[in-house]
Amino acid sequence: MGKKFVVPFGSQHVALPEPIRFVFTTENEIIRNVAVDFGYVHRGIEKACMSKFKYTQVPYVVARVCGLCSISHASGYCLAIETLMDIEVPKRAVYLRIIAHELDRIHSHLFAVSHLCEVAGYENLFMRVMRDRELVMECLEIFTGNRVQYDFVTIGGVNRDLTKEVYEELKPRLEELEKRLLQLKEIFEKDYTLQMRWKGAGVITKEMAQKYNAVGPIARASGLATDCRVEFGYFPYEELGYRMVLYHEGDIWARNMVRVDESLVSIEIAKNAMDNLPEGEINVRVRGNPNGEALVRWEAPRGELLYYVKGNGKPVLERLRIKTPTFSVIPVMKELYYNQPYALVPDITISFDPCLSCTAR
Amino acid sequence: MFFYSLKNLFSPPATLEKGTPPPKNYRGTILYFEETCIYCKKCEMVCPPGAIIFTYPEDGSKKLKFHYNPYLCIYCGECVRACPKPGTLVQAETPSPPATADQKPNDQWFEIEKLAVESKKKWQEARKRMREQKNKNQQ
Repeated sequence: MGKKFVVPFGSQHVALPEPIRFVFTTENEIIRNVAVDFGYVHRGIEKACMSKFKYTQVPYVVARVCGLCSISHASGYCLAIETLMDIEVPKRAVYLRIIAHELDRIHSHLFAVSHLCEVAGYENLFMRVMRDRELVMECLEIFTGNRVQYDFVTIGGVNRDLTKEVYEELKPRLEELEKRLLQLKEIFEKDYTLQMRWKGAGVITKEMAQKYNAVGPIARASGLATDCRVEFGYFPYEELGYRMVLYHEGDIWARNMVRVDESLVSIEIAKNAMDNLPEGEINVRVRGNPNGEALVRWEAPRGELLYYVKGNGKPVLERLRIKTPTFSVIPVMKELYYNQPYALVPDITISFDPCLSCTAR
Repeated sequence: MFFYSLKNLFSPPATLEKGTPPPKNYRGTILYFEETCIYCKKCEMVCPPGAIIFTYPEDGSKKLKFHYNPYLCIYCGECVRACPKPGTLVQAETPSPPATADQKPNDQWFEIEKLAVESKKKWQEARKRMREQKNKNQQ
């Protein structure tokens, strides 16, 4: 039995991308108790959507909830409104949404992977992953016209079409990215340092993932087969070559590998969707105001994203509720810290790819 | 990995140089051409951040004045799609020039926002007077 120390981690810390505060009670380097506190970046977006903006303007507001997964938020909201108002989106628009969504997933996953390398102390690999990520950022910039906030999805379709010129720009970039990602995967599988640091550390068992309701790549790294992309079938993912990436180790290494493998699958889906793009309209006109309520569960890069929309026949919504993936994984994150050495805290935290600006909204 | 890193030491940087022009299809400034405008104000209504404002003339005529704030604009292009007269609003492929402190873009914009509310009241009064005048003339 050693003396107990209280070690705060955050809200501002070099290992943290965004503000969250942990207070660890440690006993000789081993963590015995944790307290979590978040909400440092609350911006009142839900309230703004319910008071200031019309429902047609809300896709652009909810896109600003998160910088990395902005398109998931916009398409989640649009799906909810479309199910509420019975709008049938043209097939071409659905395919374009899939392409944008998968490209966004790749860049979000690569960001998480690179950040994990940095926290593990492997600065060189961090730079390399970030450099490869630049390819997909370029793709998104050409495709949607902007680097970070795409403003691509609207109610009833998408804003921009995929022309032949854009297709010819995207295709070689994605092929190059696939090559580089395979090289990266080999490094992650064989690198001695990373194996020593990540294998067997911060293990989430399948029972634990089920009990604490883990979502997204974290659940899939523990062998829990859950993916909202195919569970609900809003978009035709299965015909585009989707396959679920499952790892059973549940440690930091497995979570990293899930992200790398999923990026490879996403490249495949994006390429298939680009090749088999159906002809037709990209947008349908929306008339009337939403009346009733709808709930949509949608897969963001970090996991399940929940949108609840309630309208009362007026242009401004009565209620908009967003439940973000990081909010769902905070309980399992907290549980995981118990009886772990303090030195593993940055790796465990970043392996969850926390997005606190989503969570606080 | 070692050879890759060693090679990187002697290769040019991967980042773009300063002053590189934006790529094709870039979402840039909104341009307005008054000749074809019918003053339906659809662009003002759909704009999510409220970067388009029309101010009203005091004499009650229907020729409104278009104001656009490129620093508030999110370049979503919603106004271009909402416009019933194609060619009135066009999205350019170049970004707007950065604002400097001496231009005071915020202060100018706040004044326009105030002016829009005040001028609308005056405009409505002027319209009312015109209508009354017309009715008198008819009688």
